[in-house]
Amino acid sequence: MKKRSLILVTVDCLRADHVGFLGYSRPVTPFLDSLTSNTFVFSNALVAGAPTYFSFPAIIASRYPLALGRDVLGIAPGEPTIAAALHQAEYATAAFLAGNPYLNVRSGYHQSFDTFRDFLDSALPGDSITSNGAKGRLSKINIQLEGASRQHRLTSQAYDELYFWYCQWRTARENLSMDSLRRYPAADVIVDQARSWLSSLGDEPFFLWIHLMDPHHPYYPPREALAAVGASEMTPRRARFLNSVWNRDVSTGRLQRYREEIVSLYDAGVYWADKQISRLVHTLQQFRRWDDTVFVVTADHGEQFLEDGSRYHSPTNLRQQLIHVPLLLRAPEPAKPRRFTQPFSLIHLAPTLLHAVGAEIPESFQGRSRWDEILAGELPNEPAVSECLDGCNNPYQVADRMRHRLVTVRRGDHKLVLNFNKRTDCMYDLKNDPEERSPIPIGSLPQERARLLQVARTHLHETRQGQTTELRLRARVRELQQMASTEERVLD
Amino acid sequence: MNLPEDLCAEAEKWMTGRFDTLEALLGFLLQEIVKNDAGKLDQAEEELVEQRLRDLGYI
Repeated sequence: MKKRSLILVTVDCLRADHVGFLGYSRPVTPFLDSLTSNTFVFSNALVAGAPTYFSFPAIIASRYPLALGRDVLGIAPGEPTIAAALHQAEYATAAFLAGNPYLNVRSGYHQSFDTFRDFLDSALPGDSITSNGAKGRLSKINIQLEGASRQHRLTSQAYDELYFWYCQWRTARENLSMDSLRRYPAADVIVDQARSWLSSLGDEPFFLWIHLMDPHHPYYPPREALAAVGASEMTPRRARFLNSVWNRDVSTGRLQRYREEIVSLYDAGVYWADKQISRLVHTLQQFRRWDDTVFVVTADHGEQFLEDGSRYHSPTNLRQQLIHVPLLLRAPEPAKPRRFTQPFSLIHLAPTLLHAVGAEIPESFQGRSRWDEILAGELPNEPAVSECLDGCNNPYQVADRMRHRLVTVRRGDHKLVLNFNKRTDCMYDLKNDPEERSPIPIGSLPQERARLLQVARTHLHETRQGQTTELRLRARVRELQQMASTEERVLD
Repeated sequence: MNLPEDLCAEAEKWMTGRFDTLEALLGFLLQEIVKNDAGKLDQAEEELVEQRLRDLGYI
């Protein structure tokens, strides 16, 4: 039998409630919506960790992000992954990743890919509104002013306010375009590369992973995408202003007035990703590879737009906006399209995909294939665990990785949030409280709370007992080597 | 073995007075590689969940 190929599309920051096939009213994903007529849709897919650096170990290696120790970042050297399994099965393998700084060689994501492009070498101009003002006499005056203002809270706030508007004024005359402001390669660039790679193949089986950054901040979607989501009046200047103001440390009340426009920018990014995924699928059809390809689209985490006051996707919470992601799986067999509503952890994704293409599943994977259950339409209702390190925003700093865990356990409609920093456990009923505003009182549903706590306990115990010393040591040695080479560069 | 000269000079400065023997130096480097402070945090977190379950009367 001919081996099946596999395409994994991951879209950064794509939250589940911003795709049409999961109920979003704005038409941002017309292509993916159209695919659902013959695909499996998982309406409660949950990442095993957030953000990117806590999510991808589960997606690529079916391993909980902290399972090798919280001080280990990325994929360990020689760690079994979906790419390694398929490379061993003589698949052609390629990854085109749109410049996410955590998906790179340093973090081991390149392993087992014949072709690996992380686009971190393509310097994009970016959003540097202060870059022109840092020279000369004015700059010296500014430094003095800033120093003086920092002595009191009120003067400090006044300085920040004035400086923000000064930067806006200074850059008002610049000739801008969305393309020049964008930080990451847009999805069309990534899909062009993928198409070119696909065209170089014969009829051997392949594994292609593409990672799109279009919905990631700063939000600078192409004009065509803005028009498609009904925001054609948005100018590059306005988009830059919105991105600048959205990034400011000001009150939620002040930010709230810009939320709608920010969401439009984000939605346009989602639209652009959808449109380019459509181009990719058309290429496969053109090359007659669609019918023997398993195709999956998901995300590494979601995005927050001031729900509980948070923006972006910092690991200071594991609310649904961050851990609930779309998951759409299309396979060649004439199976009935199904929609699964049970929680489905992405820890099971890699073994399920390997099973779906008929490849061997590495023993080290912590997830289990659910392919048989999916085909039978009987996905088990099992708990899903997500975890991160509370407030770890710079995982490249070892000290930042020695923080307390945040763990959530989801079972049915109940979600337990364990915050080891605050030493709290809050349980929510997501059916009646989807925004996670009111924790269930401690005395209510004690058995359910205990059940979820038991799952958390088992998860933590297995993390401790199951650590693979060899992989952990390899990752530690890699890190020391990287530190040494950084040191060397500094000394040079 | 090839090592950058500047790195060796810096390292020598840092090591002076810290290690009397080559064994002491190698021991320190290996300790750095195998140390598992993260494991201690894992254990503390597991104990916290156990305590919570105990408080609720389930273990």
